[in-house]
Amino acid sequence: MTKILLIEDIPDNAELVRRALSATGYELIHAADAETGLQMALAHCPDLILLDLGLPDYDGQTLAGWLREEPALNATPIIALTAWPEETARLMVESYGFDGYICKPITKTRVFVAQINSYLKTHP
Amino acid sequence: MPAHLTTDIELVPAHHFTFEQLTAIYNQTRVDYMVPMPMNAARLAEYVATYDVDLRHSLVAVTPSGEMLGVAMLGLRPGRAWITRLGVIPSTRRHGVGRALVANLIEQAAQRSIDFVMLEVIKHNTPAHQLFLKFGFREMGELLILRRAPRIPPPTPIVADAERLDRVDAMDLVKRDRGIQPWTNQSESLFNAYDVSGLRLALADGSRGWLVYQRQKFILTRFAFKTEAGDPATVAYALLSHLHHQYPRLDTHVENIQINDPHLPAFYRMGYVEAFRRIEMWRGTPPMGFS
Repeated sequence: MTKILLIEDIPDNAELVRRALSATGYELIHAADAETGLQMALAHCPDLILLDLGLPDYDGQTLAGWLREEPALNATPIIALTAWPEETARLMVESYGFDGYICKPITKTRVFVAQINSYLKTHP
Repeated sequence: MPAHLTTDIELVPAHHFTFEQLTAIYNQTRVDYMVPMPMNAARLAEYVATYDVDLRHSLVAVTPSGEMLGVAMLGLRPGRAWITRLGVIPSTRRHGVGRALVANLIEQAAQRSIDFVMLEVIKHNTPAHQLFLKFGFREMGELLILRRAPRIPPPTPIVADAERLDRVDAMDLVKRDRGIQPWTNQSESLFNAYDVSGLRLALADGSRGWLVYQRQKFILTRFAFKTEAGDPATVAYALLSHLHHQYPRLDTHVENIQINDPHLPAFYRMGYVEAFRRIEMWRGTPPMGFS
């Protein structure tokens, strides 16, 4: 089963993602901070990581750097979740080695799921 | 939300709350921010200690029934105060909570004979910016928040007579005149921070300068720097080349560099990117000798 790790500190946002992905058959696992997210990524080797850029211990950019340092996770797609303006989001994504970004708030479930499917397809 | 809320706001000194409670209210106020910058209790405690935030003079806004509405903190240093971490829970905005918090913090500073108050507001946060203008704050300039990713290949260090500085030597440099700095970059912030060290170098043409920084577990941050002779951009590039050569795997987060800082071209050349901007605002007159 395809496994997605969501690293997001705001419970309402995490719930939104859980509901959006509930019909896809993907397994969603969740961490609420960067340290836990790193541990879960290493323990579960997910197929895709959804990473909020604003986390309470270390931010998403710093965590992306750690994840990329781990040989087991080097090829795992990491997608930034961010409310930043698109231009800034793009700059951060390129600079920190994310594979893409999804802008928050997530308002259209179908579009969000299509984005996830597309990232999974391009990083099989 | 009762329409008469403005008269029903109680302002409680923040030291009556735990760091966990303060973190929870602070994070709730930022939940819809473009740059939310959430914290955990440990980070907030470090923030309070590093930036001389006085929780006895910081405030949490609550209703008479104890419902939390917002928070604002006050940093205090000789002759100056700093308003920080101001936030109001989204559902309770536009009811005078922010205004009550700011007015009371200014009053708290005044009671300590401090009329010079500094703050920074995220650029494009129009409601907060307008609020501060109404209280007589004036814009002093824009500040940049820069990031450099660890995946950028480490630079070749520029040939120079370079010397690593321990904390004592680094602090000796930081307390020298660096001009007027934003609160986060003032000497006291470095004195209060842990794991601070530095670099000093001289180039063959006689240019020389220094850089003091904090090395956290995964991040280089809290930069203070000065060019003592020569072109600032050249000296800064040399300093950064040695720093990133020494720590190739660390993320870098530099806050509140003034937009007209002559060292700035070196940061961009070294692969730093702009994350966002703040506007620095002042109210009152800086004390004599303030730097």
